[in-house]
Amino acid sequence: MGEVVLEGRGIKKWYGKLQVLKGIDIKIEKGKTKVIIGPSGSGKSTLLRILGLLEPPTEGNVLFKGRDVYAEKLDLNKIRAKIGFVFQEPSLFRHLTALDNVKLGLRHVLKLSEDEARRKALETLRIVHLEGWKDHYPAQLSGGQQQRVGIARALAMDPEIILFDEPTASLDIELTWEVIDTMRELAERGITMLVVTHEISFAKEVADEIIFMDDGMILEEGPPEKVLMNPKSERARVFLRRLLGV
Amino acid sequence: MDLDDFLFLLRGVPATLSISFLSFLIGFVIGFIIAIIKEQNIFGLKYVAEGYEKFLRGVPVLVIMLLFHFGFGGFIPIFKDPFTSATLALGLRSGAFQSQIFLGAINSVGRQQMMAALSVGLNRWQAFRHVILPQALIVALPGLGSEMALLIKDSSYSFILGVLDLTKHADILRRATRSFLFPYLAAAILYILITFPIANYLDKLGSKLKNKYGLR
Repeated sequence: MGEVVLEGRGIKKWYGKLQVLKGIDIKIEKGKTKVIIGPSGSGKSTLLRILGLLEPPTEGNVLFKGRDVYAEKLDLNKIRAKIGFVFQEPSLFRHLTALDNVKLGLRHVLKLSEDEARRKALETLRIVHLEGWKDHYPAQLSGGQQQRVGIARALAMDPEIILFDEPTASLDIELTWEVIDTMRELAERGITMLVVTHEISFAKEVADEIIFMDDGMILEEGPPEKVLMNPKSERARVFLRRLLGV
Repeated sequence: MDLDDFLFLLRGVPATLSISFLSFLIGFVIGFIIAIIKEQNIFGLKYVAEGYEKFLRGVPVLVIMLLFHFGFGGFIPIFKDPFTSATLALGLRSGAFQSQIFLGAINSVGRQQMMAALSVGLNRWQAFRHVILPQALIVALPGLGSEMALLIKDSSYSFILGVLDLTKHADILRRATRSFLFPYLAAAILYILITFPIANYLDKLGSKLKNKYGLR
């Protein structure tokens, strides 16, 4: 077993009286791609925000490279900089060009010089094939391009892991592919990823492991062929049958 | 009323403009601070900020001017100066209105932008400074334009304290020429010529930038 980059132990989350997560244990190893599937409302996005340190769990521990983030009172900003996050909602900084979106964290978090930050941002935009769009504002980009700039913004920070929260959920089908292809390329580059998605073809081809979540719990976990083709639980079978349309 | 009379009237414009701009700046700083106090929920100070807003929004600005100049002027030297009293009264009241403009604008930027900024590793202050604030200022532009127009118009109250502004010059002209209609009419037109372009410019600029950046 390789080095564990990010880990959740016994994660529980309540919003008021509603329990969204009911004790989640999850580990993501370096260089691996893990995909979470499951019906909406199953707590996938909440889990991702908790692992991304964007909100605290009500109970349980989040460990980043073996260190307990909340128990050891680690500097959240420093660790967030090492955990990339790609959101479902449009999340580019609207007043900044594509290039400046990628540059912001490089300048103010990693404290690179203007020249270094520019070079690094351009290099990263090239990876997502958007260097020709560097001077465009988010409003001038398609939904798919915006998501790819969002990926570049996360990637430029040299993160230990990137979390994707249904990055194609609000996109048209043809724009979905360009984002999926970009994510596939990242996986090939050996970037560690945790991806919530309904794109089963991505899960099948790219994931090292798939997790099926429902009702705030992990019901299945294992290699794609096992979880997708031969799920143990009835709920996973029903979900997959609907999703695959068979 | 002839050209000389009109030129005389114009001599009131600098005072009108300086009271308006200075009070706008004072209001900008105060409004900004109050908005941050309320937005960041700085405990204790939040109620002070709300009390400040309630008081200054609830009292006529003329009463505040009279209170400052004649009331405080008796024992606080700077308020003896009518210009200072008028500017401070307008500025402090403007702060109570500009805080609302800023707060609305900050809230309109939305939580998703803050979350995205935090995910990059920025701390809360950096996120506010580099992501929320620039967008909020654009959203605030039209509101700030209306507030500026309001200040230019309300600066006319200062003539009661004896400030030699546009309204005071119209009043002097009325006495000198015994013409009751034209001095005030000319002043009214001048007020429109000053306020309309400023408010209109900020409004247009706000719309233009909002479209460019896809802000709501």
